[in-house]
Amino acid sequence: MEISINVKEENEKVVINVSGEIDVFTAPQLKEKIIPLVSAENAEVIVDFKDVNYMDSTGLGVLINAYKATKVNNSHIKIINLQDRVYRIFTITGLDEVMDINPVMRGGIK
Amino acid sequence: MNSSPSYININKEWDIVAARQLARDMSKKLGAGTVDQARIATAVSELARNIYLYAIDGKIYIEAIEKMERRGIRIVAEDNGPGIPDISLVMEDGYSTSGGLGAGLPGVKRLMDEFNITSEEGKGTIINTIKWVR
Amino acid sequence: MDTTKIDASKYKMLLKSYIESQNEQSLYGAEQITKTFIKNNILPEEIVNLHIQALTELYPDLLIEFKHSMNFLLETMISYGLAHQEYQYLREKQSQIKSEISVAANVQDTLLKTTVPQIDELDIGVISVPAHQMNGDYHHFIQGKDGSIGIAIADVIGKGIPAALCMSMIKYAMDSFPEQLMRPNSILENLNRVVERNVDPSMFITMFYAQFDPDSGKLFYSSAGHEPGFLYNAVTKEFQDIEARGLVLGINSDSTYKQYELQLNKGDIVIMLTDGVTECRGGKKFIEREEALDIIRQYIHLPPQEAAEMIYKHFENLQDFNLKDDFTLIILEKKV
Repeated sequence: MEISINVKEENEKVVINVSGEIDVFTAPQLKEKIIPLVSAENAEVIVDFKDVNYMDSTGLGVLINAYKATKVNNSHIKIINLQDRVYRIFTITGLDEVMDINPVMRGGIK
Repeated sequence: MNSSPSYININKEWDIVAARQLARDMSKKLGAGTVDQARIATAVSELARNIYLYAIDGKIYIEAIEKMERRGIRIVAEDNGPGIPDISLVMEDGYSTSGGLGAGLPGVKRLMDEFNITSEEGKGTIINTIKWVR
Repeated sequence: MDTTKIDASKYKMLLKSYIESQNEQSLYGAEQITKTFIKNNILPEEIVNLHIQALTELYPDLLIEFKHSMNFLLETMISYGLAHQEYQYLREKQSQIKSEISVAANVQDTLLKTTVPQIDELDIGVISVPAHQMNGDYHHFIQGKDGSIGIAIADVIGKGIPAALCMSMIKYAMDSFPEQLMRPNSILENLNRVVERNVDPSMFITMFYAQFDPDSGKLFYSSAGHEPGFLYNAVTKEFQDIEARGLVLGINSDSTYKQYELQLNKGDIVIMLTDGVTECRGGKKFIEREEALDIIRQYIHLPPQEAAEMIYKHFENLQDFNLKDDFTLIILEKKV
């Protein structure tokens, strides 16, 4: 299973593009990239999930870890373009109510 | 009586070969079999390589010894490198081999009959090994 | 003569016979003797050495270049020998760890043992199978003094030992709550505080807690981000999701949980599960929740325990008998 993670900085913000499947094998790679970024004081991190078609609970654990880190460091994490299957995990676990997430945009501009 | 030790300074890769050669010559002279000669040379190689890779500079001492009517070869690796903070970790099987492809220190221990290591962080490491010649 | 010497002369004999006539029989002999070598931990360099010895004894006039080449081969075998010894050692160590885990799994089984309550109003079926030796799923039944039945089903993220250790924490926390607190929402709120204080930041637990009141036939429940269960209506013969909102345990210490209620009628069935059921993969393909429901539907006419076991067998088969995640399924059928 493959995953690719691209980090780029865009004026004061960090955008992480993730593509592939996030599971028990690939989640550590995501963790390695994302945790240091959200641990920076006042950081603004956007994670683009447009190309993530599957995520299991280990992947969710990494995002929870990141979310908890933002609370300690006064930083922010936003996850955008969640596909239905992945979005469902957030709604079941109630995380859609505490985390800043957006499902995939339909028909172009919202 | 034990012969006075010869040593090789290790600071470039070529020195590893010289250390192997010295160990092989001595083990041949002591009458070690082909397999033991190869094992001793490999152990010296590993020890010298460790110095070359991690300590940059050190020595390999090789001497013939005789104790209680047994003859053998003693190899001592000494360096002034960074030292090993956790010896039990580097002595663990699968630890050093997972990164590189060397046999690591557990390999040296297997190749030799006696093995002893002392290390102090910031000061260096001394590894003392003996192979008895049957 | 020691065994090595016997093997050496046997090897020499086989080699001679093969060199003279290239017969299959001596090759079979070579195969057999290799097995004794392996059994006696003879290293590759020793075998090469044996070969050199045998050859020089049989053909003393061998080309010197050939002899050198054999010594060269011997040298290259030293590192293989070391790798082999290391592999042997790690294999032994692995089997030792395996047996330790199996002891731990037994301890866990004893610790998490729960008895299925027997009451006239409810028929309960349950199955819980770990993917590996230790289970990261948890389920528990409690029979209150007022006659109500409490049913908990939980899933710790991940599987294996860390999940199992976490499960033990849940079990002790649950045991420590006084009985008057045993309302689904307050149980989850209390448990959440315990979990929030005690888990690794990337760990979380989902739980569904239900309480059945036999007198009214009502089921009260709350969910902490747990996979929704199913309700089977005996009259319409249809399934619906048991929706309940609530945050997973261990995120915020002050999470509150909403309590829902359902009126159960005779023949109605409640199915509680972990996502090992709905998230399992059949080969490379994911099994969707709807497909999982189709499987459940096939067995729902059976008595709950039998149905639970049949459904499990079906999923096990789908995954080629190699469960990827812990699997827990609880089926409750209202009898009267």
